[in-house]
Amino acid sequence: MSTLKRTWKVNGQTVPIRAPAGRRLLDVLRDDLGLVGTKESCGEGECGACTVIVDNEPVVSCLIPAGQLPDGTAILTIEGIEKTRIGRLIQRAFLECGAVQCGFCIPGMVVSSYALLVKNPRPSTPAIREGLAGNLCRCTGYTKIIQAVKLAAARLPKRK
Amino acid sequence: MTKPQSPPRRLIGQGMMRVDGDGKVRGTTRYLNDLAYRGLLHGAVVRSPVPRGLLKGITPDPDYDWSGITFVTAADIPGINVVHMHDRTMPLLAELGGEIRYRGEPVGVVAARTPERAAAAAAHIRLDIEVLPPLLTLQEAVAVFKARPGAFDSMKDQSIVKGDLARGFAEADDVLEAEYWAGHQEQLYLENQGLIVFPQKDGSILVEGSIQCPYFPVHELNDPLQLPPEKIRVRQTPIGGAFGGKEDYPTMLTGYAALPALKSGRPVKITYERNEDILFTPKRHPVWVRYKTGFKKDGTLTAIECDFLLDGGAYLTLSDVVMFRGILHCALAYRCDNVTIRGRVARTNSMPCGAFRGFGAPQAIWGLESHLDAIAARLGKPPHLYRLQVHARPGDVTPTGQVLSGENGSTACLKLALQRADFARKLKRCSRGRLRRGQAKWYGIGLAFFGHGAAFTGDGEAKFKAKGRVELTRLADGRPGIDIRVSSTEMGQGVHTVFTQIAADALSLDPGRIRFPLADTGLTPNSGPTVASRTTMVVGNVVHRAALDLKRQIESFASRRHFKGAAVELRRSQLVAPGRPPLPFARVARDMLAELGGASGFFQFELPPETKWDQQAFVGDSYPGYSWSANIAEIEIDPLTCEIDVKRVTAVLDIGRVINPVTASGQVEGGLTQALGYALLEKIGTGRNGLYDAARLQTYIIPTARDIPEFDVQFVEYPYTFAPPGAKGLGELPMDGLAPAIANAVEAATGRRIRTLPITPEAIFAALHPAQGAPAS
Repeated sequence: MSTLKRTWKVNGQTVPIRAPAGRRLLDVLRDDLGLVGTKESCGEGECGACTVIVDNEPVVSCLIPAGQLPDGTAILTIEGIEKTRIGRLIQRAFLECGAVQCGFCIPGMVVSSYALLVKNPRPSTPAIREGLAGNLCRCTGYTKIIQAVKLAAARLPKRK
Repeated sequence: MTKPQSPPRRLIGQGMMRVDGDGKVRGTTRYLNDLAYRGLLHGAVVRSPVPRGLLKGITPDPDYDWSGITFVTAADIPGINVVHMHDRTMPLLAELGGEIRYRGEPVGVVAARTPERAAAAAAHIRLDIEVLPPLLTLQEAVAVFKARPGAFDSMKDQSIVKGDLARGFAEADDVLEAEYWAGHQEQLYLENQGLIVFPQKDGSILVEGSIQCPYFPVHELNDPLQLPPEKIRVRQTPIGGAFGGKEDYPTMLTGYAALPALKSGRPVKITYERNEDILFTPKRHPVWVRYKTGFKKDGTLTAIECDFLLDGGAYLTLSDVVMFRGILHCALAYRCDNVTIRGRVARTNSMPCGAFRGFGAPQAIWGLESHLDAIAARLGKPPHLYRLQVHARPGDVTPTGQVLSGENGSTACLKLALQRADFARKLKRCSRGRLRRGQAKWYGIGLAFFGHGAAFTGDGEAKFKAKGRVELTRLADGRPGIDIRVSSTEMGQGVHTVFTQIAADALSLDPGRIRFPLADTGLTPNSGPTVASRTTMVVGNVVHRAALDLKRQIESFASRRHFKGAAVELRRSQLVAPGRPPLPFARVARDMLAELGGASGFFQFELPPETKWDQQAFVGDSYPGYSWSANIAEIEIDPLTCEIDVKRVTAVLDIGRVINPVTASGQVEGGLTQALGYALLEKIGTGRNGLYDAARLQTYIIPTARDIPEFDVQFVEYPYTFAPPGAKGLGELPMDGLAPAIANAVEAATGRRIRTLPITPEAIFAALHPAQGAPAS
């Protein structure tokens, strides 16, 4: 397989990428860049634990071959989320609402919540459920996660 | 002049934020696969391709390049080829010349520099197996049980007998008999199984991994590895969910990794991908339960006869105790003088079933709560009024002869749930198969009521004597603090947080000065496995008492060293004595560390001396305490597609003292969601090849954020006063009763009772159109 030479913007930093073109984005992030906050659980795009944001869209990084992402691709992972205001609000709300148990799904949940709130700062409950429907959690029953997203949304600065 | 002191702030009862939350929301918590180690070998398990047969040959492909690869079989086991578990019958690896008993049974382990290389090499091990006919499922086993009981292969039998069953049926005006089934359920922790075995220079091993019960590998692999307990050290890494799934299985996984580690002298890691994790790790036991009940016209239950069969899989492992917990819950919650329950564990050619939250109780309560609704219907009584009439309450005698104590909120749970859900009014609106005015979908409401025995069965806690320490130490910032040393593992349930609250209250210290290191059998006393809804109740009491012990030592040291013998109290992080300026805890603790080198409080749990249990007769006090709950489910069913939507769930629980209402309600919501999956979604069949037909998350469906109802979770507190701070069991209770509550709601919505879990739309369609059968799915 040909070796990929690309330059991506990962969490705001320009990063050279050297990897086989078929390598999963998840493996590039975890193994090559050491960004192990992104988790793998099912490896087939069903559970959302590996969710990251690629050019403003949430994706499951276990299904994206690195070769698919051109130079200049902007990737945001859980490690970059907390450098954003919305990300910090979401993390804080997850803690305050008791939305965390074992924690394994939580990086993906926080990333999906971030993607949702960036697009829709005042989501309805059905919109939150829809926005998180691709992220499985086996511990919490989702209720406190949904509450946390609502709380974070309520604390977002009002837009004119 | 001394300032008036405000009373110490109590953390118990407060929703203190999780102590382990920060790393989890930031993604900095390091689970096993996030830890980078150099020089590891990766193990791959070589498995039987057939569910039953005689293992006649194991041959590595002679044309394959085996350089750098370690391969082990049963012949490499240093000692006896057996995992202890409960009956010492299961081999660690299938023995050459022995019988293969399930599809996927481990035959060998390959270890190589990369997981890919190990998997490729494992595919080049040739197995010569003489195939034998398997018995794959509980359905087949029950058919044998009914037709030829003598030929039924039971790995363990146990009965409970109370009163005189024949007299009970003779006194009855009516008799109702029915059978109930449920299939496997997968724990589906999000973090797959995984661990690393590091061989040590002195011949011992160090194990690190996602392990719910660190002391299990220490005590269950001594024979095969020829290592005494002190030469097997287990350190827990942060656990990404377990729910029982990492209780028994990591012991086997430790064995699989230890063999190539000992042979190669290199550390060996085995971590499963999701597919292997679903196919080849233990699940909740499938159940067949038959109730035959006698009752009078006024509803009085005169006889309960119950056969309770679990599918144990190919080996007993811990299924005996799962069956015990099952039969102890088969008739727990209702008054009846004549009870006979017969429990059995069927042997089938399938992966041994194991621990999953509830541990036999959900299977028992599924049958009982469905059946009780059916009795109420036969009597023409509303299901809630019938339960109010016959439910167990303080002073009643359980099937094993235990008198229920007054620390029992059974009635309060039932009444509050009925009131909060407005059950009586809504029951009248149920569709019963015909849309009522204003209804676009069939509506149903269903109730379940149940207890759950907390902690080990019988005198298990008395024999075990859970131990724990609370130590004075220097924390990472160099200042004094406290380490909690118990072997209870944080799996998400919140034990690190609630034990911090308990220790902080007992010591009257700031919770920020208290640390709870991950369990390490080299450092942590054995406070028992994190199972059986025992942790907060039993080990929480150990932490409380050990913390009080340390507090007395600190006060006594301060009295001698700083207060000239005056009576001193540690209060709100200060040592105070009447008429003297207080000293900060940090100052006294620093002196204590410098002069004594350290200090620790210790406690060992004991049951009340009057506890009586006869394991042979199965008579006596079967649990130290009971938690109680009532669950109410409201559902809608689309009459055309038979899709079920659970709209609202009310759960009222008596778990004794609630230490942290936020983590507690979080556990309840999570457990109810697992029970919702058990009721409606989570389905696994077995193919003729012995493999499960749902082997991945595309086919094994668990609830998502779109599937959950609105939850109304309430607690009523009847504390277990013998063991302050007075918690009873919580972990398993939310898994116990929602499935039958939903089945009862399905009956109220459609007019049809469904007696097999899960209740899929196809099952409802088949119940509504019996002539057509289920549609092809």
